[in-house]
Amino acid sequence: MSEPLRDDAGRVPGVIGDRIAGALLLVLALGAWWLSHDLESGFMQPIGPGEYPRLISLPLAALSLLLILRPGFNQRWPGRAALLRQALTLLVLASYAGLVKPLGFLPASLVAVTLLIRLFGAPWKPALASGSGLTLALYALFEFVLGMPLPDMPGLDW
Amino acid sequence: MDILAFLAQGFAVALEPQNLFLALIGCVIGTLIGALPGLGPVNGVALMIPLSFNFGLPATGALILLVSVYYGCMYGGRISSIVLNIPGDEPAMMTTLDGYPMALQGRGGEALGVSAVASFVGAAVATLGLALFAPLLVDFAIRFGPAEYFALFVLAFATIGGVTGGSLVKSFIAAFLGLLLGSVGIDAVSGVPRYTFGLYELYDGIDFIVALVGLFAISECLIFLEDIRGTSRPTLTMGSALPGVRAAGRCAPTIARGSLIGFVAGVLPGAGAALGSFLAYMLEKRWVGRSGRFGEGDPRGVAAPEAGNNAAAGGALIPMLSLGIPGSGTTAILLALLLSMNITPGPLLFEQQPEMVWGLVAALVIGNVVLLVLNVPLVSLFAKVLQAPGWFLMPMVVMVAFVGVYSLNNSAFDLYMMLGFGVLGYALRKLEIPTVPVVLGLLLGGQMEFNLRRAMSISGGEWSILWNSGISVGIYLFAVTLIVAGLVYAWLVKARLRPA
Repeated sequence: MSEPLRDDAGRVPGVIGDRIAGALLLVLALGAWWLSHDLESGFMQPIGPGEYPRLISLPLAALSLLLILRPGFNQRWPGRAALLRQALTLLVLASYAGLVKPLGFLPASLVAVTLLIRLFGAPWKPALASGSGLTLALYALFEFVLGMPLPDMPGLDW
Repeated sequence: MDILAFLAQGFAVALEPQNLFLALIGCVIGTLIGALPGLGPVNGVALMIPLSFNFGLPATGALILLVSVYYGCMYGGRISSIVLNIPGDEPAMMTTLDGYPMALQGRGGEALGVSAVASFVGAAVATLGLALFAPLLVDFAIRFGPAEYFALFVLAFATIGGVTGGSLVKSFIAAFLGLLLGSVGIDAVSGVPRYTFGLYELYDGIDFIVALVGLFAISECLIFLEDIRGTSRPTLTMGSALPGVRAAGRCAPTIARGSLIGFVAGVLPGAGAALGSFLAYMLEKRWVGRSGRFGEGDPRGVAAPEAGNNAAAGGALIPMLSLGIPGSGTTAILLALLLSMNITPGPLLFEQQPEMVWGLVAALVIGNVVLLVLNVPLVSLFAKVLQAPGWFLMPMVVMVAFVGVYSLNNSAFDLYMMLGFGVLGYALRKLEIPTVPVVLGLLLGGQMEFNLRRAMSISGGEWSILWNSGISVGIYLFAVTLIVAGLVYAWLVKARLRPA
């Protein structure tokens, strides 16, 4: 989010960050431009399906170049410990996304929530306690209040 | 008076028991979400969208629920600003300047009381303005053709970057990135799949809701994970909110000025509530001059920004409803809700579904009263919520987001996509590339392209149709003016921040 009043204390020069971002965006824009030439429809129109992506990817490429040439500021990037926590959190969430259907909502969520709460800095016991509470509350909310069926455990209907 | 008749009809819709109940629930949930540090209206409303789908609500009900959450968040945002010195979101930032000093002096209750009344008046002014001005804008917009609409979309993108005060290059990068992401999926005109890489999940395009929840809720959690040590909070005696209500009487001129300024800021495309509260505070400080004790706990320093940001929140609904062009991040999310219910806001909405528009206006009036009633006596209860530990709050937000999104399509692909957008949102925030233009691009891209191509097929491939009418030239000129104004504003903010 861009706020008019930013906390200036947390800002660092974005020479590296902005240039990496600019390079990635440039590749993306050029790729989109390149691929748009394959987009042809059979019949004649003033503007085909590929025209509009081309119209967007050219300014995007130009702006990315500008970002590489004149980088601005970044928010302070996280340290190693924070990066590890974030990576682990994403790992837990991605595994949860893949496992919730085969394992069923209750066991998958219990494990995921407890691990999440641990990662957010709580000790094991409160993590397990509030994790089970949250899992049951969500189950009750979606199954009974909202009437949305959540994945059941294999061989059981809950 | 057409408007009165419509409004009476609107109240009939809003007072239906189900809608009244939704407004109540929305207000309570909104205040709670807004009060939580780090969660503001954008995250709050984004999180509620999948849930409101699951309720199986009709469009009117869903919209009433979400705008109640929106107004509630704007009310709740002031609580953590005053009590913890942590603004729940950007518009609440100015409230910390005088609110927290008041709380340190044991006048927290008074500050909450003043701000509750100021919020009420601000929102009331904005709702009145919505009822009066939206129909005027609609009468004007009914003459728009595809070329004019295309110009209007250009205006939305031009201004959202200009007025937010960040780097102009980065804002435009964000907008174009959003537009490019918005072109993924089957092309509606020719039926050719674009950038889907053979993934059938992408044929319908990138789901707004999945992208929004990822960009806002998931990225917020990643930000939170950077520093999980809980900060020690001083225990403050709050005191009663009643003296604040009386103090609000003394602040009446301040509140009136703040409301008007905020409303105007809210109507401008791309400006939104943060600008409303900033301008209201700064102008009030200038107006009062040296006799004020701004920054040391002057009640007027709480009243002005709160009146301003709540008025702006309502004002931002005007361009969203009457033109289909959102003026802020949160209204962009409300637009996403409408679009995914196959409702296209714009002049036609007022003609074809007046009961929905006016029911919404009436619901805003009712929600505003409910919020005032809830907030004066129950404010200490809401302040208690702030004591919930962060290690519980954030996992709860993630899980609600996950289960909410999963239950839309029962698809793990949506969840991976949401995580991807979460990482993207986090990276963008670190790079100081604003996320709101990305959302706007994703949302409006389809409409923008559709209008462009319709204009081109009308003209038979002649590009000059885009700037051939007086209205579109006027809109382009307005866009340029706003960009210049944005540059001046950014320069002013920079000049002001330097000594601080």
